[in-house]
Amino acid sequence: MNLPAGREPESESRPAPAPEPAPMQASRTSAAARLTSALGARLRSWEGFLAALLLCIIVMNALTSPSFLSVENQINLFALSIEKVIVVLIMTFVILNAEIDLSVASMMGLSACALGWLVQHGVPMPAALVACLLIGMLGGAFNGFWITVVRLPSLVVTLAMLIGFRGLARVLVEDRSIKAFPEWFEALGQQPLVGPFPLSLILFFALLVLAVIVLRYSGFGRQVYVIGINLEVARYSGIDVARVKMLLFTTSGFLSALAGVLFAARLGTVRGDMGLGFELDIITIVLLGGVSIFGGAGSVYGVILSILIVLYLRNGMSLSNITGHLQTGVIGIILILSAMIPNVRGFLARVARPGLFR
Amino acid sequence: MKLKQLMTLSVVAAVLGAGSAHAEVMAEKGKEANLVLMPKFIGILVFDQAHDGAREAHEELANPGTLEFIGPTPENSVAGQIEIVTTATTQGQDGIMISNNSGDQIAPAARAAREKGLAVVTWDSQIPSAEGEQVFVAQVDFDQTGVVMADMALSILGEAGGDFAILSATPDAANQNSWIAAMKTALEEDKYSALNLVDVVYGDDQSEKSYNQALALIDKYPNMKLIMAPTSVGIVAAAKALQDEDLCGQIKVSGLGLPAEMVSYTMNGCAPEFALWSFVDLGYLTYYVTYLIATGQIEGVEGETFSAGRMGSYTIHKDPTREQGLRVLMGPFSVYDKDNVEAAAR
Repeated sequence: MNLPAGREPESESRPAPAPEPAPMQASRTSAAARLTSALGARLRSWEGFLAALLLCIIVMNALTSPSFLSVENQINLFALSIEKVIVVLIMTFVILNAEIDLSVASMMGLSACALGWLVQHGVPMPAALVACLLIGMLGGAFNGFWITVVRLPSLVVTLAMLIGFRGLARVLVEDRSIKAFPEWFEALGQQPLVGPFPLSLILFFALLVLAVIVLRYSGFGRQVYVIGINLEVARYSGIDVARVKMLLFTTSGFLSALAGVLFAARLGTVRGDMGLGFELDIITIVLLGGVSIFGGAGSVYGVILSILIVLYLRNGMSLSNITGHLQTGVIGIILILSAMIPNVRGFLARVARPGLFR
Repeated sequence: MKLKQLMTLSVVAAVLGAGSAHAEVMAEKGKEANLVLMPKFIGILVFDQAHDGAREAHEELANPGTLEFIGPTPENSVAGQIEIVTTATTQGQDGIMISNNSGDQIAPAARAAREKGLAVVTWDSQIPSAEGEQVFVAQVDFDQTGVVMADMALSILGEAGGDFAILSATPDAANQNSWIAAMKTALEEDKYSALNLVDVVYGDDQSEKSYNQALALIDKYPNMKLIMAPTSVGIVAAAKALQDEDLCGQIKVSGLGLPAEMVSYTMNGCAPEFALWSFVDLGYLTYYVTYLIATGQIEGVEGETFSAGRMGSYTIHKDPTREQGLRVLMGPFSVYDKDNVEAAAR
C-alpha cells in the first residue's frame, strides 16, 4: 500500500487559513463597543457567566482532544450520566418550589434492584417495568404525603427516605448483583435506537423540552415559582399549594424510578449500591445552574448550561487522561467559585452602597 | 530453552488432548500499541506495584506507544471504571487492562471496547461472566488460594481450631469472592473440621471502614480467634484494630497482605502468617499478554503459548473457575512469617 511517488501526505498540503477581510475601521469600533457593552450586560447575568464558562471548556476540550467533538463521544458523555441529568430536570422544579428531595438516588437504586428482583423471580419484563415505575410514583407520593398533609420539612422526610429506599434496595439484592434481564432490554440501554441516539437520550431531550415548556409557558410553572417566592402569598392568591407539591414529589419519585430502570438497562446488572451519592451531584448541578436554594429564583436555561458544563468538564479531563482525584478536585473548585461569585458580588454591592459606612 | 519449549508444548498437547497446540510466540519488540492500565482504584500500593511491572515490560518491549495508568477514586469506583473504559474506546486506544471492581456492570462497556478493536485483558479481578473480556491474567490459582488460606488458619489456630471470620473487600469483588468460595470448599475437608467460619463482612477496601468492620467483628463474636482478610487493605486495618485494642494475644490476623505493610504486625505476633504473590510480576505479565494481542502477535484464544520476557513461557487455558472465559495463570504463592517477612519487606 505505498503512496504514488511524489505525492505529499494530505496533512502537509492543507491550505493556510484565509486572511480576514479588511474591515471598515470606524463602524467596527462602534460595533465592537456595542458588542462589549451588550456582552457585559449578558455576562452580568448568571446564565451569561455560565455560557462564557461553557464556551471556554468547549474550546479547551476541542483543542486538547481530537475525539472530543466526535458524535460518538458527545453521545457517550451524555449516556454515562444520563440517569443523573434526567433527575436534575425534576430537581430544578422541586428546588424552585423551595423544597428538596434527597431520596432521588435511593429511589433510583430501589427501582433498579426491584426490577432485577422481579425478573429473577419470574415476573415478565413488561409487568416488572410497570411495577417499578409504580413503586417510584408511590414512593414519591409517600414523600408528598408527609410534606403536604403532615407538613414536615421535605429535608427531614426525604432524608429519612434516602435511608429507607436504599435499605429496601439492599434487602432485595443483598450483597450480590443480579444479571437476569432479557437481551432486548439490555440492547435498549446499550444500543442506539434512532440514528446514533440511545433511548435514554431521546427520553432526556423530550423531558427537557417538556420541562422548558411547563416551567416557562404554563400556569403550573408560574405556580411553582410563586410558591417558591412566598408560600403565604401563594396560598392567599388561591393556589392549591398542597396539590402542586404533591404533584412535584410524585413526579420526582416517578422520574427517579425511570432513571433507575434506564440505569439497569445500561449496565445490564443491578446491585444495591447503584446511584449511591448521586443526589449530591444532582443538587449541585441545579444550584450551579443558578437556582436559589431558597426557592423562587433561577431558570431552566441556567440548569441546562450547568449540565453541559459539568459533563463537558468531566469528559474533557477524562480524554486528557486526568485521573480520578484531580477530576474531583477541579470540579470541586469550579463549584466553590461559582457558589461564591454571586454572593461576593452581592456583598461588594452592599459594601459599595453610598452611605453605608458613614 | 529448546527443551523447555518442547516440554511446554507437550504439556499443552496433553492438556488439550489433541495435537492442535500452537507454537510458542516470541514477542516482536518495537510495535506500537497505546495501552491503558486500570486498577480497581488509585492510591493502593499493590496497584502501583503492578504499574511498575507494566512499565518495566513497556520499556523492555520498546513500545513507541503510550502506557497510561488511570483509575477511579474509591468512592466512585464502579461508575469511574465504566467511564474510563468508555473514554479509552473513544480515544481509540489499542488495549485496556482492567482490574475489575464492577462485577458484570462493566461488561457492556468492555464489549463496546472490543467491538471497536481494543484488546481487553483483565488482571487481578476478572469479569464474572467473561463478557467483553478476552483473557484474564490470574495471579494464582483461585482454588489454591482457598487452600492456602485454610492452611494458614489451621497453622495459626492449631489442632484445637476455633471460630474465625472473613473481612473481605467489596461484596462484588470477583477475585475475593472466588477465593472465599474456594476457602469454604477447602474447609469441608476433615483436616479443617475444627475451623468454624462465623461470618463474612466487607470493608470495601477502605482503611477506615475495614478497621470499623474488624472492631464490629470483635464485639459481635467474643469467641472469635482469627480474622482472615483476603485483601491487602483489610489485613492491615484488622491488624491495626487488634493492636489498638491490645487484643493480639487472643485474636490473630491472617490473609493476603504486602510484606512492607505487614512486617511490624508479623514481628509483634498480631499477624503471624500471611501470603501474597508479586504484583510487579502480575503487571509485567499482564502487559505482555495485552501487547501481544494488541499488536496482533497472538489472538487471545485457547491453547496459544507465548514467552513473557523474564517470566518465561505461559499458555492460555480455559478458566476452570468460570463457566466461560480464558485465563493465563501466573502463580505461585509466597507465605510470609517472622522468618522471611523482614527480607521481603525491604
